[in-house]
Amino acid sequence: MDKPVPNVQSITLQNKISDSSKLFDFLTQYARTFKIPDETYNDLRLVLEETFVNIASYAYEKDDTQTISVELKSTADEISITFTDTGIAFNPLTKSTSCMETNDHCEGGMGIHIIKSLSDHQEYNRAGQSNVFTVTKHYT
Amino acid sequence: MSLDIVITPEANNGKRISIAGSLDSNTAPELQQSIDTEINNSVSATILDFKDLDFLSSAGLRVIFKAKKLMDSNGGKFLMVNLQPQIKKVFEIIKALDGMNVFKDQEEMDEYLAAMQDKVKEGE
Repeated sequence: MDKPVPNVQSITLQNKISDSSKLFDFLTQYARTFKIPDETYNDLRLVLEETFVNIASYAYEKDDTQTISVELKSTADEISITFTDTGIAFNPLTKSTSCMETNDHCEGGMGIHIIKSLSDHQEYNRAGQSNVFTVTKHYT
Repeated sequence: MSLDIVITPEANNGKRISIAGSLDSNTAPELQQSIDTEINNSVSATILDFKDLDFLSSAGLRVIFKAKKLMDSNGGKFLMVNLQPQIKKVFEIIKALDGMNVFKDQEEMDEYLAAMQDKVKEGE
């Protein structure tokens, strides 16, 4: 039997936080096209926001306009999101904008905790001059 | 992904902040600015009404926790009401509901506030 063909789409964004709205639109359209379940879509919306904001905030020097590309790939059972950027070596699971100084809600950053809680697998690799971060979520 | 903020007065020098749309990294500064402008130590209770909010990220959570801290330090109350299930889920993920006054709807919050008022009267 043939393996199911994944549905792959990608978008290139700038490393600015305001581009998270473009990422949201991209996810919404993908979810509609490939009929991603609602709960998965809602969770992914948050995973994408938290991950993108971390990368846009930390992977590049301030005022350095660069790109972050995001690829969505899904099969019948799961969806994976791969973020690629050419900034400094940065794993978005190590630093989050949402870590508060007074710490009851830190644990490595609320954003990081949210990403980990709402996905099943995360993987970071440094490939040459690029950061490649992939998050995978099985459908409920 | 925009945020609408409506501020309305509540009984006993309270204020209700009704937020609608998306509270995320882009819109959180707007809410922070509203809070900075509207919430001072003459406000006895701040009610954050989530009825029409459909998205909340950690940037929004930060503003919310800061507002709670502000009310705590002013000796006031901070209450949250009408959270949609996916919003409540975000708080639950970071185990942040403990120590927060969260009400599922207006009726539940009214009962709580009435009981608080009765307690105040009893103490007078």
